[in-house]
Amino acid sequence: MGQAPRRKGFLSRILESGRALKWLMVAPALAILLIFVIFPLLWSLGLSFYSYSVMYTPPGVPPTFVGLQNFQKIFQDVNIYESFQRTAYFVALAVGLEFFGGFAIAELLNTRFRGRRIVVTLILIPMMTAPAVIGIFFEYMYNPTYGVVPYFISLVGIKDFNWMTREWVIPAVASMDAWMWTPFMMLIILAGLQAVPRYLYEAAEIDRASLWMRFRYITLPTISPILAIALLFRTMDALKLFDLIFPVTAGGPGAATQFLSVRLYLEVFEYFKTGYGSAFSYIFLVIIIVLSNIYVRVLTRRPQMMAPVEEAVQEV
Amino acid sequence: MARVLLENVTLEKGILCPVHSLTLEVRDKEFVSLLAPSGSGKTTTLRIVAGLDRPEKGSVWIGDEEVGDMTPAERDVAMIFQTYALYPHVSVRDNLASPLKVRKTPETEIDRSVKEVAEVLHIEDLLDKRPVTLSGGEMQRVAIGRALIRKPRVYLMDEPLTNLDAKLRVELRAEMKRLQKELGQTTIYATHDEVEALAMSNRIAVLNQGRLIQYDAPEAIYTHPKNTFVARFVGTPAMNMIPCSLEEKHGRKILQAGAFEYDITDFAEAVQGKATGDELVLGVRPAHVELHSKPPVDGGIQASVYVVEPMGRMTIVDVKVGENVFKVKVPHLFEGKPGDSVWISLDPRSVHIFDRKTGEAIA
Amino acid sequence: MQRRTKRQVKRIIRYALIIVVTAFFIFPLIWLGLTSIKPRAVLFDKPSWSSLFFEPTAKNYIDVFYREQYGLPPVRTYFEMLLVNSLLISLASVGLSTIIGTLAAWAFSRFEMRGKNTMMFFILSTRMLPPIATLVPLYLLYRALGFMYTHHGLILLYTMFTLAFSVWMMKGFIDEIPKELEEAAMVDGHSRLGAFFKATLPQALTAMAATAMFCLMTAWNEYAFALVVTGTDWTHARTAPVQLAKTFGESGYNWGLITASELIYLIPVIIITFIMQEYLLRGITFGTIKR
Repeated sequence: MGQAPRRKGFLSRILESGRALKWLMVAPALAILLIFVIFPLLWSLGLSFYSYSVMYTPPGVPPTFVGLQNFQKIFQDVNIYESFQRTAYFVALAVGLEFFGGFAIAELLNTRFRGRRIVVTLILIPMMTAPAVIGIFFEYMYNPTYGVVPYFISLVGIKDFNWMTREWVIPAVASMDAWMWTPFMMLIILAGLQAVPRYLYEAAEIDRASLWMRFRYITLPTISPILAIALLFRTMDALKLFDLIFPVTAGGPGAATQFLSVRLYLEVFEYFKTGYGSAFSYIFLVIIIVLSNIYVRVLTRRPQMMAPVEEAVQEV
Repeated sequence: MARVLLENVTLEKGILCPVHSLTLEVRDKEFVSLLAPSGSGKTTTLRIVAGLDRPEKGSVWIGDEEVGDMTPAERDVAMIFQTYALYPHVSVRDNLASPLKVRKTPETEIDRSVKEVAEVLHIEDLLDKRPVTLSGGEMQRVAIGRALIRKPRVYLMDEPLTNLDAKLRVELRAEMKRLQKELGQTTIYATHDEVEALAMSNRIAVLNQGRLIQYDAPEAIYTHPKNTFVARFVGTPAMNMIPCSLEEKHGRKILQAGAFEYDITDFAEAVQGKATGDELVLGVRPAHVELHSKPPVDGGIQASVYVVEPMGRMTIVDVKVGENVFKVKVPHLFEGKPGDSVWISLDPRSVHIFDRKTGEAIA
Repeated sequence: MQRRTKRQVKRIIRYALIIVVTAFFIFPLIWLGLTSIKPRAVLFDKPSWSSLFFEPTAKNYIDVFYREQYGLPPVRTYFEMLLVNSLLISLASVGLSTIIGTLAAWAFSRFEMRGKNTMMFFILSTRMLPPIATLVPLYLLYRALGFMYTHHGLILLYTMFTLAFSVWMMKGFIDEIPKELEEAAMVDGHSRLGAFFKATLPQALTAMAATAMFCLMTAWNEYAFALVVTGTDWTHARTAPVQLAKTFGESGYNWGLITASELIYLIPVIIITFIMQEYLLRGITFGTIKR
């Protein structure tokens, strides 16, 4: 005869009861996020309706309520508008480079060969580096006098290559971003490519389909959700970019690299327009949220797509 | 050991295999099988007894206590899962010792019990291995051991033999029955294999879609199935079911199905009393149909051979009477060919008649 | 045999390209290493073939930790403090994040909860937020709470930052561990939580390690938040990326020093990349959502 364990004490009952336990487990996570995300967001939302400056509003004086004025001003602010443009330009460049570059390299790596693992791992490293650090170093490499990149380019015939100038700095930064993140795109696309069932290609070959046709009718439809995901993800990230640029250019030369995030930082921490900055950050947030909504929707819509892709990734 | 009582247990929401108003009593030291096709609620029932799921309605009793509020740990039951659920990262010994360790049994006693159980199940040499390295049969026995080791009040087994190959299954079946008899354990055993249920149980509870259909000793289930479902489910090959209607011809009451006629005048009264109409189903097991190559003395029915399936020491012959097909189990080699004329006769005592609408048995 | 040679040629081209591509991505890092051991004089030379031949010096690495002063013994730069800070803050926040995340992930995985999907989506979306946008309110909050310039302030911040990732990764992993193990443990006599520790947690350890590594790298490399919290003056809780940027801003062109310190900072990351390559591959390609 077994001995039935005694009925547990009160604390144990709570731990035992599925109902209380699960909330207990989730509580710390939710609490942290609530305090550090929700609450500040709400606070700053409120703040965006006031004209307030951390630095310039004298203490003890209640800030003036300005309603939607901050928001209005933002839409009229030339600086911010230009900032938008620059950011868009940068994102298009960077993501475009990463996308096509990634695709090309993925195609390249799409066969098994010895040492592929090592190659992939090596290519992985740029993604793992600190953007702040990388930015600084690329500046060195790009320097027209002693940088190594202009040297290589001069070998091809272009002398005095300098793209840290106002006209060309955005592509320069885009190239830095591309160096870091093309491997990311490449990985995702590679996983997608490998998930395409081989027999489809074989059938196409028997039917004498051209390379282009094979791509268009087999590859593309299968990997388009993956491509969409990769694009969205990278776009969202690129929009938020800060670490790569700020330590290097601090927005310069001139205002050439004042992307949205940099502009925001300046508004808040250099010009100390806190209320205004809050409004700005909200608009920024909304954009990102909209994009991420799309991202999540695409991602979760095709869960069955993920399974073969995951196997493919393991093969890599 | 203790008895188990499920009273009016219902669990319907959100579960794949719901249970409806199940009332079942398992007597002390009894071996009861829950027999049902997959997805009919056997696993759910076991889990309710174990305390892993809570029923929406009804109560569960173990021994004399109502256990509805108790956690699985408190109920003192042991469960063997279909997938064995052994802790993969610890040795077999630790797996076996786990239930005792939780109860803070002294070290020495744990060692002793582990040894005992290992001996009984012949797994002594596996004690230091990890479950990943074991074969199916070995894992099975460790799972059994883990259940045995603390001598709980009730054993719950969820299709434990399903994942093993046929030979191993037969072997372990015998082992488990022996163990159960020896140790006198109250056991509830879920399976969809009727052969297992028939072989091992004191009583069988047949479930269909969460409802209890029939609860009887194995022989009773076999010879007196309560409805067409039970009749078809138990016994291989399945019972022949011929839908027919009750007619009157030349003053005799017969069951008619196309070219097939069967005289039931002698018990027509009993039949008519219980039936809801004239639509009936005639059921007879393949083993109870006699096959003759010449018309038999006491009248038979002419049929023609349709398919012959030799099965080693016996043959299954499909014969056709008009449009109806009868499967006949012939206990020796059969030499007919498709198209041959044969005669079949049915022993009235082993004929079952079911109401076509309700499926209930009548005679 | 024309077809065969055609294929051979294709293969050779392919391999050559692969090598080129790999070199392209690795080159900056190699150059970084080279630069860090160049003596000062050579740093500003126009690059040419001859510039590859120079006398390597370890002076830069020494300079990282000590600053020279004319006529006086070298002064510590407290770089090691930065390293320690980075390490401490990263490890602490990752530890917290992994533990809290795993517990929450387990709850999400095993239990039915009202609004579960909403909660999960909410957690995911915190990952999506641009650091800058949340910076403003956090800045205010921290000033109010007195968390500016503190270690614990940054630790909590990074925990929050990486929590989303932890929860999502771990949930995916825990989903894969069969629920029956916990049930068997419960029937054996463990409490619900005890069953988790006994049955599921040991299985989840490798996943936790992988998640932790990933979060570690995120925290280690982080710049924006650290910049805001540790401010523009020297403070005790400063992490390396911020300081490195400052050094560049201030002393400008001491590339040897800068690259040396950068390399020191990059090395752990490279090592971890090699160790955890398999898990990293899985984690990266699906961002924060798995299965």
